[in-house]
Amino acid sequence: MHIRTLIMAIALLSASALHAEPLAIVVHPSNMAELSGDDLSRLYLGRSRTFPNGDSAIPINLAEGMPARERFDERALSRSSAQLKAYWSKLVFTGKGTPPQEAESHEEVLKLVATNPSIIGYLPASQADDRVRVVMQLD
Amino acid sequence: MRKSLLAVSALSFAFALPVQADLHINGFASITAGTTTGSNDQLYGYSNELDFKNESLFAIQVRSDLGDRLSVTAQVMGRGSNDFDARFEWAFLTYELNDAMRINAGRLRTPFYRFSDFMDVGFAYDWLRVPQGVYGLGLDNIEGISLYRMAQLGDFESSLQLLWGSFSGGITLAGSAADARIDNIAGITWELERDWFSFRAAYLSGKSTIEAPALSPLFAGLTQAGLGGLVAALDFNDDTSEFIGLGVTLDQGDWVLITEYNRIDVKDSFFAKRENYYLSLGYRLDAVTPFVSFEREDHRSKSELYQPFVSVLPEALLQPLMAVVESQAVDTKTWNLGLRYDFHPAAAFKVQYSSQKNDLSGHRHDLIAAGVDIVF
Repeated sequence: MHIRTLIMAIALLSASALHAEPLAIVVHPSNMAELSGDDLSRLYLGRSRTFPNGDSAIPINLAEGMPARERFDERALSRSSAQLKAYWSKLVFTGKGTPPQEAESHEEVLKLVATNPSIIGYLPASQADDRVRVVMQLD
Repeated sequence: MRKSLLAVSALSFAFALPVQADLHINGFASITAGTTTGSNDQLYGYSNELDFKNESLFAIQVRSDLGDRLSVTAQVMGRGSNDFDARFEWAFLTYELNDAMRINAGRLRTPFYRFSDFMDVGFAYDWLRVPQGVYGLGLDNIEGISLYRMAQLGDFESSLQLLWGSFSGGITLAGSAADARIDNIAGITWELERDWFSFRAAYLSGKSTIEAPALSPLFAGLTQAGLGGLVAALDFNDDTSEFIGLGVTLDQGDWVLITEYNRIDVKDSFFAKRENYYLSLGYRLDAVTPFVSFEREDHRSKSELYQPFVSVLPEALLQPLMAVVESQAVDTKTWNLGLRYDFHPAAAFKVQYSSQKNDLSGHRHDLIAAGVDIVF
């Protein structure tokens, strides 16, 4: 009885935490770029390949189906994952672009961002640590 | 046969390359089946027999980044309507002058329409097929060079394309096979896009020359009758050809409205003055997008070419002359009703009912088709 209540409480908590938790957009600590929401969406839609200061930028996505990916697609890019898939198939099959590479875990995002000043990624805000700099937060 | 071998060797070549060559291999496929509902109905290559082949296709695209802003892209496609014989739909080099400018050279998709570049990639749009009344000109690929320039104009993303090239290949003219050549194709397309709105304009021109053996006896007869001037006004001999296309897309998230219009003319030829448009409205309900669209084809035959000669020419010349000129007339209205269902992240199921009224014959042709579009 107690255990069941506990499990339910945890499930509820984590579900709501997942819902409410903001996403951190992260870059290398040495990367001092300032980004607007518009800059971010241009990077992830392949419309720009540089930070506003002109340095080259490599966006990294989380893998399809991860909750933070779906939130990012909707919050940062205002599109559903299915719409984005159709969007990218237009660019891929016209040789105009390739979608961002995908990381399989939050830890992989942190590792990639920590090793390359050009890489930009995102993950749930609570997961960001001092290996990266949070350049923007999406609620 | 040779083409299929070529395709296979292109692929094995691609697979044999070392991994670090930065190779992208993508593919798409459509498996579509359809049948007309009336025993005498014919539409888009379907008749009253269930057909799984007519609109099915498979394609593989290979892109290799060679470094230093140079890449090559080749797309090999097999269409069911062509017995799945694989052929190069396009193959071009891309050189990026900078992040905003790019040159493509080789075999390119002719940028007539809003969806030209991916008209075969069913997954990229909601319809089962692009509106045939507007997309039905043919000449979908040309050989040439194009320059793209992307820029931000205020809140709009602007894409400008300049194009120069030529077309040569077999076509069907007045119901018989012919060799066509379009030289000096020059084109400009411009697309402006912001979140929910996009506008596109295209202008292409070229010089059309068509050799149609089936028409030689008629032209020879007219020339003998002293009507060389009429022949020059009928045939395609380096004749100025123009295409104008306009398109608007409004996509506010749930509702999607798409419309395109084009007009086509080949001067000093019996090619009809063509005007086509469609209007499509869709509504996204999560994974399901129902849509309705209306298409209009209006190809006005140049009857004025033969009218002055109706009482002068012998029947043996007048009849074929009128038949050839009037063969270009088209007057249809088509309603489409269908839906797209995203049942899988990389696949969509579609079903579409099309009803086309031919106002010249008075006949209505109804078609039901369903299929799955995949990207991989």
